[in-house]
Amino acid sequence: MIAQRCDLKVLGRVQDSHSLDPIPFANVYFKEAQQGAVSDVNGFFEIPVLCQGSYHVSVSHIGCQTRELYMTVKHDTTILLELEHHSQIMDELAVAASAIEEATTQEIMLMDAYEISQNADKNMANMLGDLAGVSVIKNGTNIAKPVVNGLYGDRLILLNNGVTQSGQQWGADHSPEIDPLAAGKITVIKGVSALAYQGSNLGSAILVSPPKIDSEPHFHGKVRYFFESNGLGTGLNIRVQKHHHKFAWSLVGTAKKKGDSQAASYHLTNTGAVEGDFSLQTEYNHNTSLKSELFFSSFNAHLGVLRGAHIGNLTDLEEALVRSEPFYTKDQFSYQIKAPYQKINHHLLKWNTSYLLNKDHKFDFTYAVQWDLRKEFDVRRSGRSVKPSMSLNQRSYFTEIKYRGYLSNDWEVSSGVQLNRKDNYNEAGTGILPLIPDYISFETGLFVMATKKNEQFSFELGGRYDYLDQRVATISRGIPKEIKRYHNYVSNVGLAGGGNYVFSNGMNLSYNLGLASRNPGINERYSNGLHQGISGIEEGNPDLVSEQSLKNTLALGGKINAKILYEILYYDQAIENFIFLNPQNEFRTTIRGTFPVFKYVQTRARIFGWDFTSTFLFSDSFNASLRASYLKGTDTQNNIPLIYLPSNNLFLSFKYQIPSVGQWSQMTFELSNKYVFEQKNIMSDQDFASPPKGYNLTGVKISGERKLGGNRLNMFLRIDNLFNVSYRDYLNRLRYFADDLGINVITGLNLNF
Amino acid sequence: MKNIFQTKSLILLSISISLISMISCSDDLVVPDDPVIENEEEVITTLTYTLTPSEGGSAVVLTYQDLDGDGANEPTITNGMLSDSTVYTGALTLLNETELPAESITEEIEEEDDEHQFFFSSTITDLQVEYADEDGDGKPVGLTTTLTTGAVGSGTLTITLRHEPEKSAANVASGDITSAGGETDISVTFTLTIEE
Repeated sequence: MIAQRCDLKVLGRVQDSHSLDPIPFANVYFKEAQQGAVSDVNGFFEIPVLCQGSYHVSVSHIGCQTRELYMTVKHDTTILLELEHHSQIMDELAVAASAIEEATTQEIMLMDAYEISQNADKNMANMLGDLAGVSVIKNGTNIAKPVVNGLYGDRLILLNNGVTQSGQQWGADHSPEIDPLAAGKITVIKGVSALAYQGSNLGSAILVSPPKIDSEPHFHGKVRYFFESNGLGTGLNIRVQKHHHKFAWSLVGTAKKKGDSQAASYHLTNTGAVEGDFSLQTEYNHNTSLKSELFFSSFNAHLGVLRGAHIGNLTDLEEALVRSEPFYTKDQFSYQIKAPYQKINHHLLKWNTSYLLNKDHKFDFTYAVQWDLRKEFDVRRSGRSVKPSMSLNQRSYFTEIKYRGYLSNDWEVSSGVQLNRKDNYNEAGTGILPLIPDYISFETGLFVMATKKNEQFSFELGGRYDYLDQRVATISRGIPKEIKRYHNYVSNVGLAGGGNYVFSNGMNLSYNLGLASRNPGINERYSNGLHQGISGIEEGNPDLVSEQSLKNTLALGGKINAKILYEILYYDQAIENFIFLNPQNEFRTTIRGTFPVFKYVQTRARIFGWDFTSTFLFSDSFNASLRASYLKGTDTQNNIPLIYLPSNNLFLSFKYQIPSVGQWSQMTFELSNKYVFEQKNIMSDQDFASPPKGYNLTGVKISGERKLGGNRLNMFLRIDNLFNVSYRDYLNRLRYFADDLGINVITGLNLNF
Repeated sequence: MKNIFQTKSLILLSISISLISMISCSDDLVVPDDPVIENEEEVITTLTYTLTPSEGGSAVVLTYQDLDGDGANEPTITNGMLSDSTVYTGALTLLNETELPAESITEEIEEEDDEHQFFFSSTITDLQVEYADEDGDGKPVGLTTTLTTGAVGSGTLTITLRHEPEKSAANVASGDITSAGGETDISVTFTLTIEE
């Protein structure tokens, strides 16, 4: 028997995965041996004496995602370890290049697992809200939708694990049914046309991707926990995973609960929320070229809506507008959620098989089913509050076959066919005529994209064709009520092209041009009835035609003296047949009072703006970031502003990092300040209330990492709205009724085991 | 090598095509079934305010009927003429006439009287409406009222029904709507003429 050798030496280098620059002062730790080393100025490190065996190795450095790997050491070994910097700190363009599988010349922003952990208390939209060019349209804190470069809802693509999210995206008060804590990263493409994805889109896309299962033969996982003072919210998220020889799995569960939130000076009664989600991810490697994945996720939430925001008619709204605090404000905090509230369930089952023909050709087959159930409960008479006022059930069946490969002259080509069937119906028994009708739609899409890259120049070109066949069964509002059927079929074409040039000094310039279209939403065509939130009667228009958009983006990014990183994006989008809800010069008298009438109409619109991001590296440990967004939207046909567009904003933060303090490493102190300007691009007769004043929010954050029984523990303490400022936000529909959130102290931890 | 690639591609292509045609051959399923036309049990279509002179005589009946709810048809309003310096007993009844037979909403209000209150306001200065009923907490409801006319004149009378008002807020119990809150279930206006 040969004795175990214990005189092995491991040499290595830690480097940046994008720039390949050395990373000095990185910690490398071999857990089982309890041995570690710190890399030198050239990134080199040495573990001088090690026994033969298998080790869990962690590599960490300030501002980088800590990397964990499992390796077997049999002889003296040399290893190269690459780390990725957090996107907010370092060159976003470089990180972005590897963010999605398909390289693109379009502008990309990213939230990685670390940033998701540090914002674990937020829902998906609010999490993305601090990125440049991303705003949030809300109905209170619980219900929030992301807005990218001014567009939201149906005009954005939301992709959950490669499948277009299929739910009731049309509603401004319907938040995406996705648990961000199950994601490994969230990518925002501020592009001209998301050609590879199905769904109505005018350019931008948000991609929520689960993390890859590490090739680690042991049982590992991650626990995240948070507590927030505002609303006394808590949340727990657990991920476990294991990689067997050919089979790998991971399981994620999230539970969240919060009570009434607080504005600066009063409770926001009935704004609690409860959420429970889980997902299971499995993969099986049949052989080196054939791989199958099965994914299931389930999102379940009860979201309370401010009680004082439930109103009957325009007089009620006018009364609410002048109150100092909303009606029904209670002195006591409560976890209770009563009407009005929303109950949402969304499940996704996805099968994917990929086949690698050889290293240059890959085929993908995907089949996915989604179930989306949405019940909305209102305050009603005679105990009817327990019955939903709206109960929608949507199922969708998605099939995709995709090819990706390299042609002889360095062109990368991807192409695919997508089919989606959507069955949407109202569950009977609400006692209210449905706001949107039952329908079945069938979409077929085809896309081809080609990319060519060399060191300085990359170029992409693509096209997409979609055909929609939709059968609708509406109920007329006259007397007697009748069923009226519609059959819609639309063809849409999308085209996009762009190029990216890297100058010798590292400066990066890209330009993209895209033509895209969007079918009218089901609500825009057929909604009919009173909209409680705005106290107006909303009428759809069955004759609406598709929106056509032509969008240009120009992005410039680079470094100045390795001290300043900057990036600027300019976009200009013209939308023909832009659909919006227009107040009519008509008031309708009913027994409940008088209501203004709104109709969906089409116009010519233009939205342009710029997003600026920069980081100043004063030293290795001290940096400042500045972000600014400007946007202006105009109805160019009538020469009036477009309503509900994000206000301009300015964000500044200072970050100070200390490599280690006692047991703690990677200590980070952050001070941030966000200023949101008043929305001035609006006329007084376009809204019930003038836009709120500009506001300034200050935040602080401390975070650090330490070892705990051989595991890595990261903790943070964050304070939002430090000075407990009273403010209202233009894009929050509750601004008619109540102030936005007051101070919030959040503490969280993240344990990797 | 090239041959193998082509064969495999062909196989994959044919699998793809057959899969697509399989999925798209469900033509007969693509029409939704007839949707259920909901029975709108919560709708209030008709308000009747019956004013009976306390010293005898024929009652004056004010009605407001809005059968199509939020639809574009104008409501049917029956206004009335009252005598000057007269005391009337007012009784409100509410109906949902979209159902057959018509459903009484008055009963729903009576069952939940602590969650409802009617408010009366008039442009005729000396016309007064006082509550003549109360809920379990001793707070007014407004299904029964006493209306007193003054001098000859004309103007309007607005009747508002609030669901879940704060009955204990300032002056709400005496009929002032200002601090009541709640949501408006009914808001109707009648034209009244006060004659000799």
